[in-house]
Amino acid sequence: MFISPDNQAILLLCSYLGLPPDPDPAPLTRDEWNVLARKLQASLLKRPGAMLDLSAGDLQSQLGLIPEEAHRLVCLLERGGTLAIELERFESLGIRAITRADDDYPQKYRQRLRESAPPVLFFAGEKALLGQPGIAVVGSRNLDEAGKNCTEFIGNACGRSGLVLYSGGAKGVDSISMKACLEARGTVVGILADSLEKAIRAPEMRSALSRGDACLVTAHAPNVGFSVGNAMGRNRLIYTLADYAIVVASDVEKGGTWAGATEALRKDWIPVFVLEHQDMPNGNRLLLQKGGLPFPHPFQEHFSKLWEWLELNAAQARPSQLNLF
Amino acid sequence: MNPHALSLLQQMLGDQANFRPGQWEAIEAVALKRQRLLVVQRTGWGKSLVYFLATKLLREQGAGPALLISPLLSLMRNQIEMAERIGVRAFTIHSANRQEWEAVEAALAGDECDVLLISPERLNNERFLTSVLPGMAGRIGLFVVDEAHCISDWGHDFRPDYRRIVRILQLLPKGVPILGTTATANNRVIADVQEQLGPGLSVLRGPLTRETLRLQNLRLANQSERLAWLVENLPKFQGSGIIYCLTVPDTERVAGWLKQNGFLAEAYHAGGDSEKDRPNLEQAFLHNEIRILVATVALGMGFDKPDISFIIHFQRPGSVVAYYQQVGRAGRAVDRAYGILLSGAEDDEIQNYFIDTAFPSQQSMQEVLDALEEHEVLSIEEILSYVNITRANAEKALKLLEVDRAIGTTYDRKVLYFRTPNPWTPDTQRIERVLALRREEMHQMQAYVEHPGCLMEFLQRALDDINPHPCGRCANCRGKGLSGVVSHPLVMAAEDYLKGAQVWIKPRKRWPVGLFPEQKQVILPEVQNCPGRSLCYYGDAGWGKLVRNGKYVAGSFSDELVEAAAQLIQNLWKPDPAPAWVTAIPSLRHLTLARDFAERLAMRLELPFLPVLERTGEAPEQKTMQNSTMQARNVINTLAVNRRIPPTPVLLVDDIVDSGWTLTMAGWLLRSHGSGPVHPFTLAQATGRNIN
Repeated sequence: MFISPDNQAILLLCSYLGLPPDPDPAPLTRDEWNVLARKLQASLLKRPGAMLDLSAGDLQSQLGLIPEEAHRLVCLLERGGTLAIELERFESLGIRAITRADDDYPQKYRQRLRESAPPVLFFAGEKALLGQPGIAVVGSRNLDEAGKNCTEFIGNACGRSGLVLYSGGAKGVDSISMKACLEARGTVVGILADSLEKAIRAPEMRSALSRGDACLVTAHAPNVGFSVGNAMGRNRLIYTLADYAIVVASDVEKGGTWAGATEALRKDWIPVFVLEHQDMPNGNRLLLQKGGLPFPHPFQEHFSKLWEWLELNAAQARPSQLNLF
Repeated sequence: MNPHALSLLQQMLGDQANFRPGQWEAIEAVALKRQRLLVVQRTGWGKSLVYFLATKLLREQGAGPALLISPLLSLMRNQIEMAERIGVRAFTIHSANRQEWEAVEAALAGDECDVLLISPERLNNERFLTSVLPGMAGRIGLFVVDEAHCISDWGHDFRPDYRRIVRILQLLPKGVPILGTTATANNRVIADVQEQLGPGLSVLRGPLTRETLRLQNLRLANQSERLAWLVENLPKFQGSGIIYCLTVPDTERVAGWLKQNGFLAEAYHAGGDSEKDRPNLEQAFLHNEIRILVATVALGMGFDKPDISFIIHFQRPGSVVAYYQQVGRAGRAVDRAYGILLSGAEDDEIQNYFIDTAFPSQQSMQEVLDALEEHEVLSIEEILSYVNITRANAEKALKLLEVDRAIGTTYDRKVLYFRTPNPWTPDTQRIERVLALRREEMHQMQAYVEHPGCLMEFLQRALDDINPHPCGRCANCRGKGLSGVVSHPLVMAAEDYLKGAQVWIKPRKRWPVGLFPEQKQVILPEVQNCPGRSLCYYGDAGWGKLVRNGKYVAGSFSDELVEAAAQLIQNLWKPDPAPAWVTAIPSLRHLTLARDFAERLAMRLELPFLPVLERTGEAPEQKTMQNSTMQARNVINTLAVNRRIPPTPVLLVDDIVDSGWTLTMAGWLLRSHGSGPVHPFTLAQATGRNIN
């Protein structure tokens, strides 16, 4: 396996591979990379890979950087040796890297997130699943009976209808829906806020990954554990890969589900449905008020009609959602 | 020529020193042009000088530290001292110096390390990757890959870890220089390494021949003749030398015999108690306090003693490359050195055993994988409780599966293995190719032993030397050499020595993991066996052949063996407290064999024979049980005590001891039923090779 110079450069500049926890200099943030990417495009260098052999002085003059910036880039670009060792280890574990310079970087991220799309993704399993027609299921870890039933129903329906089930790959809603989908011989995508390296060891997930029925993906280094910050940034990566989202249960004004759902409603990437039933959590109620589309419990029609139903109800609701402006 | 580099060289080696042909070219390519280079130069040419000087020059240009990957770190102490003379600070990280890792991490963090030496396995070690590597902040200024022939499957030693190195080098951005070094690579290996590392790799190759070396081959049928030959001929050599053997018991045997005959000789091999003595032995040998090291291949590449004046092979090595590397240790700084290859009847048997056991079977690899498939993580002990293979085979299987990327490792107080999502199919082609190559190499060595022409030229041609020619120095070129005739009394003495050697049976002190899940693993001292004895190694020279004949041909052990056993017990071993009765391990298969022998032995020792142990069911033959847990479980299910047991010391007899679990379990049964101390005795000890 050889790696393209563009990929090498982006991984060197933007990922934490092979670096200590608080590295100095730190890798570029997404926004810093965006600034640099624009400068690159406007320069004679054009491609990220062209930076690999340059001295600090050359980078400074070619890209119009201040000396400190150029020095930081050179420090980051110099770590090709450790990057190679880390990449090899992750590949050995079944984890690969993909960058915005790759042709098969998920198109939906490019289109929907544009510059907010993560420069680097790490994944295990079947990459082709990323962005295939499917439904995102989100919800807090604590579920009532109705939420649990609905979650299982969606997972099962996706599995049996050939739709990809998108989730956060965590406990609760995520794992229940993934399990139901896989048991129905379906395909799942988990966008993780936790260590990818650990997640792929669970026997059931591992065999789904090796069958090509699953893909786990993260925007963070594969060995980095859970953090709230990562979880927040991760939510948009779930919504923007899917075609529809169903919020099963949400707290009010707190937690990742609430933050992710309100952001999704605001950005209007895809239609967002919210589970509606008599004893639904207050968060669900408020999300419905904020423009979430009601998803009934129990679902009245045959599972095979789910996609059609979502399509129809989203289209009918479209004018009203647009009328919000 | 760079005057600065020359002055550094002289700082290292003295004012008069100059570069050898090729050395400066290699340094220039790597350190100044930042190229990728494969250096093929004979041992002693000065490869370490090249990478230390290149590191120094690169560091002066502000590059990061060099990463040196070598499978033979423990032997690099001399080179590290040399590097320090030009201010190159080298640090080593390997499994045996864990306590120093923190200091190394600190040195890396402070940019005070110029070269980090690691073994190939380190590259996949979690601790190394999470705490050591980040300390380098990614700046690896130079990759040095020692023993670079291992990159190719066509190389003579197969090290699966090198496949990982290749993958890392392929991921390396251009501009990071690579220096591969090897003493021996033929055209096929070089071409393969070039193909794998990409077209940017250039090759620097020097001549192989050693002008001081005088070669001779001698064929002496059995071990006693060869032992006698050594005692007769060693006094003719001046200075110090190495005798290479193929197996660990052989090194012990030869060294013991030489000591008995007044030579300053020591055995040198990996494993066992000798592990910690190896640095001491090397030092003593370097300072000529030991004249002769009797070594296995464990005394390998990287060991540099310039004044070795003879290398004798007690048995025929597996390949021309291995032979040339070993014999090439002689004659670096002496005018005349000898390389004598003794070969004998057991050579083919041993080499075939090495080839046959080089790889675990496809089925055992699959079974290991199946066990891992079912679990999140497993330790090797847990794997062994699911899969009936030897620990050594499990280790080989795990290593191969790991480089095949089918499994990964993590560490939580012990190493844990887990299945990765990567698909796995057995790489039968690769394995077949390696095995075919091993056989080809063996045949080439067979041909070398019989070769009537110039021996050095034969080796040169086999190694694709640029300019092969008759050496004019070997026994064949000169038409004379050392005589292969040995005096009869000495041969007889050697035979007696071989038959009188004591072989210990170490008592087991712990039950295998997973046998008694509810109980502690420690075997309490009051139910442990005493240290026991075997008459010989199974199938070996001396008594070993007689035992094999008795077990599988004659169907009974001869009186000669009874007498030999009695002699050993009464005159050499003298078990204390002396046994008051004799019993035997019962067997369902060879109904009378061990018991019949034990009864005759008891009669000869004038002790009562009491058959107190019996088999309670048909158990699979113990040797088909491949690891401790399986073996112990097999015994525990089928062995029982059938009558009252005298409270006095007992001699517990069996024909062959392999894992020792039968004896351990029988001893435990006897002691728990009230017997006195248990002294185990067997006719032979299986050596892990030549069973059957």
